[in-house]
Amino acid sequence: MSFSRLITRWKGLALTLLAAIATGWLGATGQLGLYIHPRYYVFTLVMAGIAFVLTIGALLVIPGPDEHDDHDHGMHGEPDGRGPDAHGDAGAGRRRPLLALGGSLTALVIVAAAAIALLVVPPSALTSAAVEQRSLNGSSNTLANAGPPPGTSDDTSAYSVKDWASLIRQGASADDLSGRTATLTGFVTPDADDPDNVFYVARFVVTCCAVDAQPVGVPVYSPGWSSSYATDSWVTVTGAFEANPSVLSAATTVVRPDSLTAVEQPAEPYVY
Amino acid sequence: MTDPDFTPSRHEERTLSTTPAAHPSLRELTRSEWRWTPTVGVAAVLLLVAIRIFAPAEWTSWMTDPAKDFVTLSVSVIIESLPFVILGILLSAVVQIWLPAGFLLRRLPRNAVLRRSVISLLGVLLPVCECGNVPLTRGLIVSGLSVADSMAFLFAAPIINPITIITTYQAFGWNDGILISRIVGGLVIANLVGFIYSTHPAPQTLLTRSFQAACAVDPHAEHGTRTRRTLISFGRESAAMMPALIVGAGIAGLIQVAVSRNLLITLGSNPLWSVLALMALAFIVAICSNVDAFFILSFGSTFLPGGIVAFLIFGPMIDIKMLALMRTTFTVRTLVQVSVLIAVCAAAIGLAVNLVF
Repeated sequence: MSFSRLITRWKGLALTLLAAIATGWLGATGQLGLYIHPRYYVFTLVMAGIAFVLTIGALLVIPGPDEHDDHDHGMHGEPDGRGPDAHGDAGAGRRRPLLALGGSLTALVIVAAAAIALLVVPPSALTSAAVEQRSLNGSSNTLANAGPPPGTSDDTSAYSVKDWASLIRQGASADDLSGRTATLTGFVTPDADDPDNVFYVARFVVTCCAVDAQPVGVPVYSPGWSSSYATDSWVTVTGAFEANPSVLSAATTVVRPDSLTAVEQPAEPYVY
Repeated sequence: MTDPDFTPSRHEERTLSTTPAAHPSLRELTRSEWRWTPTVGVAAVLLLVAIRIFAPAEWTSWMTDPAKDFVTLSVSVIIESLPFVILGILLSAVVQIWLPAGFLLRRLPRNAVLRRSVISLLGVLLPVCECGNVPLTRGLIVSGLSVADSMAFLFAAPIINPITIITTYQAFGWNDGILISRIVGGLVIANLVGFIYSTHPAPQTLLTRSFQAACAVDPHAEHGTRTRRTLISFGRESAAMMPALIVGAGIAGLIQVAVSRNLLITLGSNPLWSVLALMALAFIVAICSNVDAFFILSFGSTFLPGGIVAFLIFGPMIDIKMLALMRTTFTVRTLVQVSVLIAVCAAAIGLAVNLVF
């Protein structure tokens, strides 16, 4: 009985503490960008700090020395938000100890799962598995603000993967981009149609958090690339644009690399 | 507690609250918990920080890419939603504890339709997206707002909150009537839901039993200082909200890894299918209403405006994460009814926009 009671009383605070500590740690180590857009950093960290203070405060006052059990009824048998009805009766624990025990075990599993996901698994960026789910360069408007193809006098040295992907998506051909040298940093993801000869240098574009990330990428023609570079590893490519020599690939314009070097994943792997 | 329906359950509560006397050990346990609580709290904080800092990466090196993405996406939902849930819990405590009893209810019009309209517009004052509205709505129900009226608030507030309106305007301007359709459509649906449930003969049965019991405790009758009651309320609400948030985030992450978005996006350019496909997308993406306009804008010309409007109306009201959160408060039966009702309305508005514009 006291086990169920302990769990129902502490699970919310335990989860809040977990989430607040995980958020604070991500913020302190500069890894929040793996999960949310930079515009939310301050708000998220401030609220995590408030959550932390409130949790500590709540730990100190619940249950107070003169506390009657009045508050318990609201918490009792509200196990996990999934099955409150089955064991949601106030005081269910007293009448149906098995159900209360089941609810407590569910709550324990949730706390453990949250602890593993938030505290044990090392933070990581999305992988190529997510690229397959979300159609590379499929979101037209992420890429629609590119404007006309750059004139020969325009400086394109600062163009990112997103900028070049927009230009190509808008139909800029190899002719339009001839004489242009692009320097691109992103992760390697294979071309769906010709994975032997073509890969994409890709980035995720994030509007709010990793959930809405959309992959964009620039195709690179480099036969046998997979022997030197693993999928999801980060590379910097420098090269000129040309018509795609691959007959299988759907991409029309590719970068023919002059240099291709492995690099570390940048601190902010997503673009905005 | 103006609602007469509360009286029986409250009476029951009084009876129940005397039962612990039959279990003298409970009282003892409370004392002993009190003694070790601060120590355990400090130890827990240190332990959690230590786990985060020292957990070796090898422990999870067996994870495949989809498994990693599942964790990344779920954690992303948790970290993005946590601040809003905390804010919602705090606002809920303000309504229940810091405002005088009946502060809000006394000022509302007596006419039912007018009252629901005012309540559905309350969201304009609150920059809280949908996940924060659930604890706030719970607070309103506990303070005595009727279930039907609180539904009108719950479903309208995420759409007409000021940040949502601004971001929708930034994303779409006045194009294709998207902004207007979203605001008006959201208000109409919320008021419709409120109206339909106001005719329910026993509105208390729409709520889970545990929440009915929580409502029966009048917060203003509780003892202790306001700060103390706020902290207790924080503990109670986080016990309800946080497990639901974790479960909702887990399901949202799982679906994102399991379901390919490509099909939904391919369907987005068909007048009929665009509406249904984008509602399905809204349901599985479970994105915060404050920024969903930017998200759907990123697909831009792929989708017809009607589909976008359906996405923008349906998503803030019903999605995976919201269902998990609302499940703390409403019965499954109620949630199914509400989801179907809102889905049909949102689809109708979306189709109408496709026909008109």
